[in-house]
Amino acid sequence: MANITKKVSWSSRADESAAAGEGTPLLNGSEQPQHSRQLSGGGSLFQIGRLSTVDLEEEITSDEDSLRGRPKEIPHNEKLLSLKYESLDYDNIENQLFLEEERRMSYMGFRCLEISRWVVCGLIGFLTGLIACFIDIVVEQLAGIKYQVVKENIEKFTEAGGLSISLILWAVLNSTFVMMGAIIVAFFEPIAAGSGIPQIKCYLNGVKIPRVVRLKTLVVKVCGVICSVVGGLAVGKEGPMIHSGAVVAAGVSQGRSTSLKRDFKIFEYFRRDTEKRDFVSAGAAAGVSAAFGAPVGGVLFSLEEGASFWNQMLTWRIFFASMISTFTLNFFLSIYHANPGDLSNPGLINFGRFESDSVAYNLYEIPLFIAMGAIGGLLGALFNVLNYWLTIFRIRYVHRPCLQVMEAMLVAAVTATVSFAMIYFSNDCQPLGPEHTEEYPLQLFCADGEYNSMATAFFNTPERSVRSLFHNQPGTYNPLTLGLFTLTYFFLACWTYGLAVSAGVFIPSLLIGAAWGRLCGILLASITSNSSTSAQDSTAIWADPGKYALIGAAAQLGGIVRMTLSLTVIMVEATGNVTYGLPIMLVLMTAKIVGDYFEEGLYDIHIKLQSVPFLHWEAPATSHWLTAREVMSSPVTCLNRVEKVGTIVDVLSNTSTNHNGFPVVVQVSGSDESGKLCGLILRSQLIVLLKHKVFVELARSRLTRRKLQLKDFRDAYPRFPPIQSIHVSQDERECMMDLTEFMNPTPYTVPQETSLPRVFKLFRALGLRHLVVVDDENRVVGLVTRKDLARYHLGKHGLEELQLAQT
Amino acid sequence: MALNKSSWFLVFLLINIDALVSADVDFTAPESADRPEPALSAAAAVFKPAVDSLFSLNLLSSFPEDLEISDYCTELLNIFGQRYVDYVKCLVPAARPVRVCQNCFSSYGSLVDTYTNISSDQMGPGNVSCRDSLLRSDRLMLVFQLYSNLDDLWTRSLCKQCLTDGLHNLSNTTLYFMTLLNQTISCFDKYKQGNHTELCKSCKNTYRGLNELYGGMEKNHTLCIDIEDAMNMTRRLWSKNFNCSFPREETVAVIAVSSFMVFLPIIFYLSSFLHSEQKKRKLIHPKRAKSYNSLMNIQDKLS
Repeated sequence: MANITKKVSWSSRADESAAAGEGTPLLNGSEQPQHSRQLSGGGSLFQIGRLSTVDLEEEITSDEDSLRGRPKEIPHNEKLLSLKYESLDYDNIENQLFLEEERRMSYMGFRCLEISRWVVCGLIGFLTGLIACFIDIVVEQLAGIKYQVVKENIEKFTEAGGLSISLILWAVLNSTFVMMGAIIVAFFEPIAAGSGIPQIKCYLNGVKIPRVVRLKTLVVKVCGVICSVVGGLAVGKEGPMIHSGAVVAAGVSQGRSTSLKRDFKIFEYFRRDTEKRDFVSAGAAAGVSAAFGAPVGGVLFSLEEGASFWNQMLTWRIFFASMISTFTLNFFLSIYHANPGDLSNPGLINFGRFESDSVAYNLYEIPLFIAMGAIGGLLGALFNVLNYWLTIFRIRYVHRPCLQVMEAMLVAAVTATVSFAMIYFSNDCQPLGPEHTEEYPLQLFCADGEYNSMATAFFNTPERSVRSLFHNQPGTYNPLTLGLFTLTYFFLACWTYGLAVSAGVFIPSLLIGAAWGRLCGILLASITSNSSTSAQDSTAIWADPGKYALIGAAAQLGGIVRMTLSLTVIMVEATGNVTYGLPIMLVLMTAKIVGDYFEEGLYDIHIKLQSVPFLHWEAPATSHWLTAREVMSSPVTCLNRVEKVGTIVDVLSNTSTNHNGFPVVVQVSGSDESGKLCGLILRSQLIVLLKHKVFVELARSRLTRRKLQLKDFRDAYPRFPPIQSIHVSQDERECMMDLTEFMNPTPYTVPQETSLPRVFKLFRALGLRHLVVVDDENRVVGLVTRKDLARYHLGKHGLEELQLAQT
Repeated sequence: MALNKSSWFLVFLLINIDALVSADVDFTAPESADRPEPALSAAAAVFKPAVDSLFSLNLLSSFPEDLEISDYCTELLNIFGQRYVDYVKCLVPAARPVRVCQNCFSSYGSLVDTYTNISSDQMGPGNVSCRDSLLRSDRLMLVFQLYSNLDDLWTRSLCKQCLTDGLHNLSNTTLYFMTLLNQTISCFDKYKQGNHTELCKSCKNTYRGLNELYGGMEKNHTLCIDIEDAMNMTRRLWSKNFNCSFPREETVAVIAVSSFMVFLPIIFYLSSFLHSEQKKRKLIHPKRAKSYNSLMNIQDKLS
């Protein structure tokens, strides 16, 4: 396995292309394979010298044989690229239809478009806020009922004996909720599992993840989140909000729902990937902003994840959507809390107010904060490594839906059990506070009028636990309680992430971090008060463990997810205290640097494990010697400008090659060489053309026939019918199709000698899907797609190549 | 002692007001610029009483008629002072154990009455309103501050919740609570000597009744500091002194159930590792080969 995954062989690929070229007359490139063999053969000799691990070569050649024979099966691992992912068509197709439409459109039309963009963004914000509000209220109500029932039960059995029954009750309640959540996710919409942030990251990166922005996904996501949070798992409801926002955006901007088969006949202009992706980024921002009450953080999140396609007006619109979203949530929560108009509930997670005087920090605390950031990075890396192995195990062995449901239920039961055991054996009793910040105080074996301090951490929704860790007075928790809590919650959260339930990792990370941060604060206070003579002063400075809880939370979260700018702003906005900007930034920087040394961020790990062809910011560092010729796929299936219908149908229905873009060529008269490139046409366009039977012969016979418009393509978007569903009769196969009007007449091309980073930059910055490689006479030599670029990555042994696999 | 202190306050207050009124004069009436000395001396007098109060009184100079406060207001101020002293005198001994509500609600009532008189904008005899002259003619606003301190205390003590409307009597629930409390305490006293287990058994019912009543009052928001404190003390007696909390008895059962639960996932993962077939991924040949094949097909068909 290791050998295959480490396949670093440029030499072997040269062999293959040579083998491909041998004795095979080609339609449009008969001289080209030879050509490429020469070049890449020469290149390979040259390149082997460059490889740092030359010893690999022998193994590779032996692998090569087995690879040739039949499709080889290997266990799932992170070094694969799945075939099921495609690119989004971000590039505008400037064909004749498009030009015509643009000509027809009046000045007012464009103004209206601009206005409707704003309207859509407002709607996105509004609906996202409503969904967040709905989730929040339902979770609060259901969790309230659950904790009330369990609490009463525990109180009853504390006296009468039989607490193990309470334990079982708690476990069963948890498992039931989680079972419901897991069933809808595992059986109905597996893409709704997890936090959804990796998927949205991929979408913004330009990868089309199947079914990720469907209405069904949204419903499953929302219900799933409610179930898993109420089910007491170590999860949060913030990450899924981002996914929900994205789905809302993708739905609203289209003005129709394909799932419900309702078309409102509005926003028809936005029915293409270019526009949709803009709105999805607005939706993701609105989701972040509703989740954390951080509108600017939301905008920056979208910026960080999808910044390659960006402009200033779009940013401004996204900010509008975020603001509306947080305001909507705010407004409806204020109605729910029976003081309408009070806009002080900005997000789902409310860190509460940090009074600036009680938690002021001093210059000499900065090194401490940085040290805490390093701890956060280490713990985060540990979390990610553990979760990585667990996820690989899950993908390989726990892939059947019923097994996934069982696993989720077991995790829920164990979470309840562990929590109960911790509470049961804890001796940490604290007097009830004057304000009763504890929602469900459990007395258990504490003296009357006191409550079990472990229970405030475990017997509560995670959001509330975070808040009490931030804000409870010094002395509320004793160090042993916090230590045990950190330890158990760390493993529980790590175990939980990646289950087939929809749930986020933000809150558990914050909780773990807040617990050990508070522990740090308490220990600091005790050390300084013992050693220093002026105990009065020092305790006053170190006294408040709340700020250390905050720093710890930031460090842990940064160590796990490794977001930078947006996370800083989100944390600052969620605390509502700008003075914490500097420490939080330093902490997140440290956590990222330390964590990256050991392991990638959690989201990146999951993106990799799902074999998504994700394009990072830059091409791998040592790849300048690779040229487009080595990168591209070749030979290319080309179509003629006027092509026979039969050919097109055959090309499209060939299951072994699921190509999506076809260069259109014109044959140079009197030569059998490959034609010159004159355009590019997409599979989706061809399918629409076939469906409407736009054949040359038919057009001649029926002159009254309506001309095909851009609208017809939009109506079919985004679910173009498969080629199998289109019936083409034997007579029609003989017809011809003129692609001139529909193809993109000016596709981006690069010469063969272009280096990989150059191709990469072009691809990434323009959001391309197909990049045609041409020779000096404008003849098609190859085609670069996302998967050709994404397969190179910098591993431990230098440049490595990922393999394509069917998943 | 307390009386002494309070009268002190009064003196201080009078001086203060005068001093500041005169300062006010300096600002508002520039024509009386020939009077800086009295103002200064008065200001000095403010600090002096700490040393000798008698002298300072003599140093006070009087102001023109229209700036002096009216007799009516002086009278009101005196009454206020008297009641203030009474209330504080009542409060201090009731600090521990807390009895501030039950002992002092009546004196608080009269204090409020006086203050309402002062602060009302009704004109007294001679068409003077004491509100402006007593409450807000200087930056210290002593009367107001003194009152608001006590008022704040009152609010935080939640005494209002234990009283009937109008603050005339203790509410019925409060009285009932007191009775129950007395019963419980006397029960404690009865069994205090000897074995505490017997106490725990015998007083359990009264104690629980008290506890439940307290819980109910907590929900209805009819608690005040007196009751809270009394309950806290009783609970501490019960739990800490007599050790009547619930013992931790079922450790074995809990451990057994927990370890069973924790054992389940291990079985699950082992069995899925052993029995579930490992998911394999089919590797696809690099695209070159594929495209080449498909191209050949097309070509075959074309030719």
